[in-house]
Amino acid sequence: MMKPSQRAANTVLAGQQNNPTGALSGLRVLDLTDHKAHLCARLLADMGADVIKVEPPGGDEGRRVGPFVGDLPHPDRSLFFWFYNFNKRSLTLSLEHRRGRELFEQLVRGCDVVVESHRPGWMSAMGLGWERLHDLNPALVLCSIAPFGQTGPRRGFEADDTVLTALSGMLFVNGFPAERPLRPLGLQAYHSASYYGAVAVMMALIARERDGGVGQRIDLSMQEATVASLEQVAAVYFAERRIQRRAGSLHWTRFFRVGRCRDGYVMHSAMGDWTSLIEWVKADGKARDLDHPEWNDYAYRREHAEHIFDVLDDWIKDYPRDELVARAQALRLSYASVRGPEELFADEQLKARGYFVEVEHPELGRSFLYPGPPYRFERSAWRIYRRPPLLGEHTGEILRDDAGVSTGELAALAAEGVI
Amino acid sequence: MTAPAMPPLAGVRVLDFTWVVAGPVATRILADAGAEVIKVERRALEYVGPRRAGQQADLNRGKLSVAIDMASARGLELARRLAGISDIVIDNFSARVMSNWGMDYASLARLKPDIICISMSGLGHTGPLTGYVSFGPTLQALTGFTRLMAGEGGEPAGYGYSYSDMVGGYTGALAALFALWHRQRTGQGQFIDLSQLEALTGVIGPALLDISVNGRVQDPVGYHPQERLAAPHGVYRCAPEGDDSERWIAISVRTQAEWERFSGTVGSPQWARDPRFQTLYLRMHNQAELDRNVARWCAERTAEAAMASLQAAGIAAGLVANGADLCERDPQLESRDFFSVVSLPDGETTRVSGPPFRLSRTPVTVRARAPEVGENRDYVLGGLLKLSREEIEALVRDGVVTA
Repeated sequence: MMKPSQRAANTVLAGQQNNPTGALSGLRVLDLTDHKAHLCARLLADMGADVIKVEPPGGDEGRRVGPFVGDLPHPDRSLFFWFYNFNKRSLTLSLEHRRGRELFEQLVRGCDVVVESHRPGWMSAMGLGWERLHDLNPALVLCSIAPFGQTGPRRGFEADDTVLTALSGMLFVNGFPAERPLRPLGLQAYHSASYYGAVAVMMALIARERDGGVGQRIDLSMQEATVASLEQVAAVYFAERRIQRRAGSLHWTRFFRVGRCRDGYVMHSAMGDWTSLIEWVKADGKARDLDHPEWNDYAYRREHAEHIFDVLDDWIKDYPRDELVARAQALRLSYASVRGPEELFADEQLKARGYFVEVEHPELGRSFLYPGPPYRFERSAWRIYRRPPLLGEHTGEILRDDAGVSTGELAALAAEGVI
Repeated sequence: MTAPAMPPLAGVRVLDFTWVVAGPVATRILADAGAEVIKVERRALEYVGPRRAGQQADLNRGKLSVAIDMASARGLELARRLAGISDIVIDNFSARVMSNWGMDYASLARLKPDIICISMSGLGHTGPLTGYVSFGPTLQALTGFTRLMAGEGGEPAGYGYSYSDMVGGYTGALAALFALWHRQRTGQGQFIDLSQLEALTGVIGPALLDISVNGRVQDPVGYHPQERLAAPHGVYRCAPEGDDSERWIAISVRTQAEWERFSGTVGSPQWARDPRFQTLYLRMHNQAELDRNVARWCAERTAEAAMASLQAAGIAAGLVANGADLCERDPQLESRDFFSVVSLPDGETTRVSGPPFRLSRTPVTVRARAPEVGENRDYVLGGLLKLSREEIEALVRDGVVTA
């Protein structure tokens, strides 16, 4: 497990070789995705897979998406691109050129996984459909991630993350009833799809080892991945034929709602020991009717949740936020502060665990803090092995070492716009 | 190898101590992939709903259930014996519960050296706040989702549900798969410390780097583009359907070519030719005025009709689907059989959400309905642990195992 004292070991130097102790070391992934599915291959790269981001010669579109370092737009300064592409190497290669496709096919022979998010049918139109790739490398796992999957009447629909969260039911249940539905922080349709993509790839790899090295293809729908990320919407419908609606900050279980303290907001929690909570409120002289016996019934509390939170809102209004949460936690009541993400950088727990990782960007002469591991493996570490790649940074080394391209040909390929 | 292939995790046994949502999401994914997931359940918790239909049916499909009193020495011994024949032991308790039971990784590795133990606690196993009590909504509050998903007056709202639990679940499933891969290659098991707070922080996205690199405090997200710039970009209310006025459409117009097609689709009205809207920069700059015009167009048609005409022109547009839209009338989800029908013991059926991907060779699919608490006692204790009928009856009689 990573300990705070090991934090220095997380510091990354550009160009550092892959740590052979990563669980996925030795696996090679060709990442043909656009920004919709960048995170998928990064999840594999974080565990030590050698992920080659195959970019069109003009650079991945994600490089043109902000925010940028110092707000200066440049393909190598996009924080959007950085977040999704650290730990990867960058190869520029045009699959629209015949020679580009030949080189790609050569790389396919030596890789384990291809992840792509092109429009359904595009890979086949390029002569790089599943049959062709499978012929080139029978052990290959191909993961195709598309907004609506590879089949069905809407497979050709256009979508970005906003439209996906709409058609997947994620938008409808967020926000205040009298206002429009609220969009999530972060591109959560893309993130859900990427997590499921990494899950599916690992399942296919595990099956491949078991079954004597036979690969397979994966058809992943981002809409479905987002519907699967809803928690309750379909479940409530199937159980009760009821449409779940947005209710402000009141959680659908009706046990949580935002309240306002003297100096900030907290998340109230009626999930936990009701008696401890009410004794405290009562001691403050603010319990009103909540100490009546009918409130001991769980179903009654759920039914009248609005009243509970109205009383609790009045109770907390003069408390300082942090004091309220500390006292609640001491009673094992799951209250929490409503914070901005900037507060995470000062969070004592994340600090003690060395969560944020310092990554050196030598070409900028600076280091930056990146988000750290979502899981800590005792024997196969999550790591930031390398900073996000500059555009085409590894084109030469990859084509020379893995596709046998001579230095002379590299120059010619660049001149023709293949790389 | 061309015979019907087994599911990817056939032969993998998971001893599942998880509860509420995040943990069960992780083991649901493993169960769909063919792992034998044995839920070790305690007395029925009042806020865990029925298993026939709804959330519990969805979370627990394809799993087995045995109810063991973990407060008794004999119950603990049963659980330890089950761990000894399992590949993965997974929990989402706070840090000390498993070690109090003698079920922590160090103890279990003595029973089974290549065991994989995954703990999905709220804030992790190290650090000053290991005992912090958290649920999905409170983790969303701590990470910024609640504050930055705010109403028009800036009032925090956040997700109406526990997206955090889904992310925690995905992270847990992925951790299990990485650990299985590692074991397949090296023969080694290991302990995995998963903090759900850290998992959720990891999906905030580029905003985190905007804070750490540019020092920029984040505004509520609203409908500001979080990817490519786009305008129009947002949700707009459509014509009511019957007495339902909650019909909306999301529209995203990114490129100049898309704007021209958009403008043709809305009938090239005068406003669409307004010089203030002719470049992306100008459309972003004059967004409020643009939105008023787009909103007027949307209000005159149903969400379905607006989506159909915009998509026909290659514009990213989608109706804001509610539960009935998803479950009853989404032709795409239907054609891909996303929702799976599961049969109940009395011959009735219900539906659950399926895996969102198809593997061409080794099927990953919903395998069976969710078990009632303790339903698989005889298989787990008799079939797997080889206890005799008399021994099982004695355990039931003494309350160590519930029927």
